Amino acid sequence: MKQINIILAIFLLLIISINTTNAQEEDNKVKLSGELLTDQQFLLDAPNDWAWNENRLTLKFDKKITGNSKFYSEVWLRNFGLPNINSSTDLYNKGILDPYNMEVREAYVQLYGFLSEKLDIKIGRQRIVWGTADKLNPTDNLNPYDLENILDFGRHRGSDAISFDYYFNSEFSLQGAFIPFFQPANMPVGIFANALNPVMKLPEGMTLMGLADQINMPKYNLGESSTAGMKFKGFAAGFDFSLSYLWGRDGMPIATYNKFTPVDEIGGININTNLDFYRTHIIGADLAGSIGGIGVWAEAAAFLPDNEINMTTDLSAIYPVGTPIEMTMIDTTVLKKETYVKFILGADYNFSDGSYLNFQYMHGFVNERGTDNLNDYFFIRFEKKFFEDKLKIAPIGGGFIVSNWDDVSNNYALIYVPEISYMATDNAEVILSTAIFDGKGENIFANLSEYNMFMFKLKYSF
Amino acid sequence: MKNLKLSAVVVALILFAGFNANAQDGNTILKKLDEVMYSPKDMTGNTEIILIDKAGKKKTRKATTIQKGTDKRLFRFTAPSSQAGIATLSLPNDVMYLYMPAFGKERRISSSVKSSKFAGTDFAYEDMEAKLFVKKYTANLLKKEGNLLVVELKPVSKKSSYLKIIAKLDKTNYYPTYMEFYDKGNKKIKTATYKFEKIGKYWNAKEITMVDLKKNHKTIMKMSGIKYDTGLTDNDFTVRKLKQ
Repeated sequence: MKQINIILAIFLLLIISINTTNAQEEDNKVKLSGELLTDQQFLLDAPNDWAWNENRLTLKFDKKITGNSKFYSEVWLRNFGLPNINSSTDLYNKGILDPYNMEVREAYVQLYGFLSEKLDIKIGRQRIVWGTADKLNPTDNLNPYDLENILDFGRHRGSDAISFDYYFNSEFSLQGAFIPFFQPANMPVGIFANALNPVMKLPEGMTLMGLADQINMPKYNLGESSTAGMKFKGFAAGFDFSLSYLWGRDGMPIATYNKFTPVDEIGGININTNLDFYRTHIIGADLAGSIGGIGVWAEAAAFLPDNEINMTTDLSAIYPVGTPIEMTMIDTTVLKKETYVKFILGADYNFSDGSYLNFQYMHGFVNERGTDNLNDYFFIRFEKKFFEDKLKIAPIGGGFIVSNWDDVSNNYALIYVPEISYMATDNAEVILSTAIFDGKGENIFANLSEYNMFMFKLKYSF
Repeated sequence: MKNLKLSAVVVALILFAGFNANAQDGNTILKKLDEVMYSPKDMTGNTEIILIDKAGKKKTRKATTIQKGTDKRLFRFTAPSSQAGIATLSLPNDVMYLYMPAFGKERRISSSVKSSKFAGTDFAYEDMEAKLFVKKYTANLLKKEGNLLVVELKPVSKKSSYLKIIAKLDKTNYYPTYMEFYDKGNKKIKTATYKFEKIGKYWNAKEITMVDLKKNHKTIMKMSGIKYDTGLTDNDFTVRKLKQ
């Protein structure tokens, strides 16, 4: 906590020094901008539990160092979550009473025309955005997913990386990125905490009493931990396109070992799980353009795991000593060493009356792996602006998910997220929306059907 | 009867010749208008956009603009804060990119956006398009009105949201002073008033006032800090620059 306070103090000093710099060097000043966001969500069903509480101050620092270089940083300072107060001692801890945290989302130096006029490089914590689709990008795998809020599609954290763009001409370029240390995805929190956890099927007669796990992180050396990617971008026949290759690790862990331990005589068990992040090759392609006035895009990523992933279920503590190993140590293939493809197709249209329609079809969500486990997602959004664009209403927004086409009525999900936003001033926007979930079967949104919620956001930009 | 037919032919010939002459005059005028509007090789400047609603309430937006020739333009908002950094890059063949700093990537804009309003103003993307008038319109000289030429412009593209534009041009220098925009139902929907000034050897529209007659909403676009022929190259109009 003391450390966070010191960091905050440094930031305040930095802001003060920026103002000093403003006066001294108008032409070369640090530009400070940002946003204040209040995001409050609570469940629609009584007693209307709070689902999300976030107050975020985003600070962006942007400074041209020379005509050919710049520094950029984005920092989040947040009051986040609800206080977890359990004893009177917690009342003495402001960090528990009023939980807050700080995140450096990006902090990098970018050099334009480095060594060659055609080469730009960027060093530091950065977000390297890949893909042409709208928010849902199967090729966007360099940075770790930030799945904290499962409904904030496409959010990633920055990575400590070095990247370059080499521009052959105005239409063709090559991008490369190297991330020396692997950073896993951060998982959903709050009511979404279990949304991405797979359903655990236990043998008949067993009851899960406790679950513990151990993550096996890759060793922190370049061979084990690094990620590298290349992307060739171009423009031809009226379409932007790109081809990419990435060698890295899947950011979400996969279970490779489960040890079952009995805790009573009526079938209660504890499970200890080992989780790994597997190596994978990802070949990507995307394109975007316009056909007959309609914006269209397509994006696909072929994932090829480096090795077959097996999960060992260890039942040795359940069976008596001497039971054949075939019965006590059961291997199951959880991911074959074969290519599976996630893809997305989308289109949008701007009507002359100011309304906007966006449609996307996606095969394979961020947490789905293996050809047989990829579900189909249809997303749509229609919005219209009123009163000189002050009021924006999106009466149609949401998606339809099918997890088994052979039995749709038992394997589907519906998400309905209508939204109203109002620009109270040029820089202040109030957003009201609801999220209604319904569904059956095994897909993440069907699992949220008890979490219908009302959402309120206020954004103030400065 | 024969005389009547002959008279009809003569009248028709005169009308046709008159029509042709007007069309020819119109196209000549358009070429001269293009010479005025697009003769600089390139342009850089600042734009202040003032939006005034029917109650007289004002909102201001600021942007920087660079332009090369008739079909390359980079427009970047600098204020208000909620829009600062948002930029559009217009390239030949209706290619347009939008850069949203929040998403960190450029995005192609579908050509359907051209009929919609530009950044909440009373200008349509179509109005902002830096494309030669002779390529966008066919013209017909309607009349001369004092020191003004009144010209009817009809869009070549069927995708245009306008049926016609009636433009009044300065007879001496051929810059526009006033335009009326008509929708497909031949209803006047917008007017634009221009104030020109000469900077060096070029005429510059230092202020354009666009009025949406239906909504009684007004947009004033003021240009300042204009510099011509500073040597911008095609490399200044790339996605690379858009993202910087």
